[in-house]
Amino acid sequence: MSRDARPNRVLVSLMSLGLLTWLGLDALSVAPNRLVQGTPLSPVEALGWMVTLLGAMFMACVVWLAWRPSSARLWTALGLVTGLLVAMPLWLSGAVVAVLDPDMPQARVGIGPGLWVLLFLWLLVLVELRIRLRLRRVWVWSLLLFVIAIWGMALSQWLTPLALVQEYQARSEQFLEAVLYHLALVGAAVGASLLIGLGMALAMRRFDGLRRLGFGVLNSLQTIPSLALFGLLLAPLAWLGNQVQWLGALGVSGIGWAPAWLALVAYSLLPMVRNTYVALEGVDPGVIESARGMGMSPVQVFFQVRLPLALPVMLEGIRITTVQAIGLTAVAALIGAGGLGTFIFQGLGQAAMDLVLLGALPIIAMALVADALLGALAERMRRREAA
Amino acid sequence: MSEVAIQGSEGGNRRSRWRFIVPLIWLAALLMLAVGMTTLEPLFRLLEPDLRQVIYVRESFLVLLGQHVLMVAVAALLATCVGVGAAVAVTRAAGRDFMPMVAQLASIGQTFPPVAVLALAVPVLGFGTVPVIVALVLYGLLPIVRNTLAGLQGVSAEVLEAARGMGMTPRQVLLQVELPLAAPVILAGIRTSVTINVATAALGATVGASNLGDPIISGIVNGNTPYIIQGAVMIGLLALAVDSLFERLQPRVPGQASDGQAANG
Repeated sequence: MSRDARPNRVLVSLMSLGLLTWLGLDALSVAPNRLVQGTPLSPVEALGWMVTLLGAMFMACVVWLAWRPSSARLWTALGLVTGLLVAMPLWLSGAVVAVLDPDMPQARVGIGPGLWVLLFLWLLVLVELRIRLRLRRVWVWSLLLFVIAIWGMALSQWLTPLALVQEYQARSEQFLEAVLYHLALVGAAVGASLLIGLGMALAMRRFDGLRRLGFGVLNSLQTIPSLALFGLLLAPLAWLGNQVQWLGALGVSGIGWAPAWLALVAYSLLPMVRNTYVALEGVDPGVIESARGMGMSPVQVFFQVRLPLALPVMLEGIRITTVQAIGLTAVAALIGAGGLGTFIFQGLGQAAMDLVLLGALPIIAMALVADALLGALAERMRRREAA
Repeated sequence: MSEVAIQGSEGGNRRSRWRFIVPLIWLAALLMLAVGMTTLEPLFRLLEPDLRQVIYVRESFLVLLGQHVLMVAVAALLATCVGVGAAVAVTRAAGRDFMPMVAQLASIGQTFPPVAVLALAVPVLGFGTVPVIVALVLYGLLPIVRNTLAGLQGVSAEVLEAARGMGMTPRQVLLQVELPLAAPVILAGIRTSVTINVATAALGATVGASNLGDPIISGIVNGNTPYIIQGAVMIGLLALAVDSLFERLQPRVPGQASDGQAANG
């Protein structure tokens, strides 16, 4: 990027907002135990003026760099923002030691609105810098992994009085179980809908009437809110579980994995069928023709030519379905399906906000990672196909 | 070009006076059920003979329905104003710097599950109706911003050139050319947003907002299946009514970007 005299207004405004947040909003809250509302603390009250000013200077520095952006200056800004993202857990570690009274082992520290807003703003700065510097996605991900590693280290080593960490430690085994269960349920639903979706898409290509009917039904299914669908499945499945011995023995009942899985499959079918159908239809007929001309049997044509060529678009369907299922599985916790949603609804019930976070943050992380991985995979396949 | 589009939609209006019949049927069913739920008591009694109470009575279904619709409508109105406003702002010369970031934010944000957004609103804003509406607005913004951007960017440069050549002011170009041409795509975004919000608002019952999610949550907690069915049928009907209404409002757009994102919460 050549030297550009115009200020990068996005960076300037984001970082100015960050500066105001840092100086104006409360960064921490300290509570003597789990149930009592914490007292808010500003950064100055937590670690004093010197450290606060240091942080402010870093941010002001980014504003200054963005005022007359050049390639070198933006790279420096990238370094500074990464530094800030890494410095936050370290600052937090110091602050936790400084504000906690060693005589009160029950006391816990909550992350205040100021730090959440700062984190959000800095990540936006990262997004903007990625666009302006035309960074490859791999680079951004390695950068984020580095930041996450530092956060992980700080959280496990020094941040034990943090309320979020304490909620985790109180149920670390349950947490791992919930994550695995969540993933298993998502995987089972996406896998089943992939198979059914492929079958339906194939049938729809053959029968036109089925196509219209199928898309109509799936479309209206998709509009039914998840909570309602879970509820509607509850009664018939409870009845089935009671009436049919072996289904009941399998664990089919009105609550639990069965209605959750069924509803997840139902929701997954529309994006899956739509993308599979479009993918299979979109394969260049000339390619199919020449494959036939080479003497391939219809089965060979399908498995060796049509399916591989349709794969990138099908992957798009799998991506949408997976991201959607990760969120819906959280709702399924309401009907006793388990998974990370359990923490969210338990936390809401007990007004324990850090327990809510313990459920919500991993769900968001899972959705983002699944989106990024499957998106990157599809992009890669498409590029290889184009080459 | 805009003339053509306007005439086209008028033609669509004249085409069938019956086109609102389907949403009206859904709506009638919904209202009838809301008013006459108690008359169905024998039916629910058949399902659960042993329960003391088989009709949800803590609040009338009409009130719950009204609160649900109000919540979604307020959120949709706010999200549409802010979302369309933001997308228009970043497509003008003055705000163009912010465009890539807003576009990225709208696409990354849609990866967030609506439940998670709702859950995160509570620690910041507390329990009750207001946090739910805030969460609905925040989440509902994303598809509207994304579609408005897509719609405005889809207006061809020649059309804009022609409009300017006719001596239209930038304001006139926006209001008389760009927005009308982008309207179908924007409407599709609002539809996605409202569909998600009808579902997410129901979840709001877990954080203290009173609406059609209430009977379901209460039924799950107390093991009362009829409550769950009553709430679920009402929400399902509402979702279908709203969706079919949007379907009728929306002119068919050839080659329109399908809303590929999660449409449910």
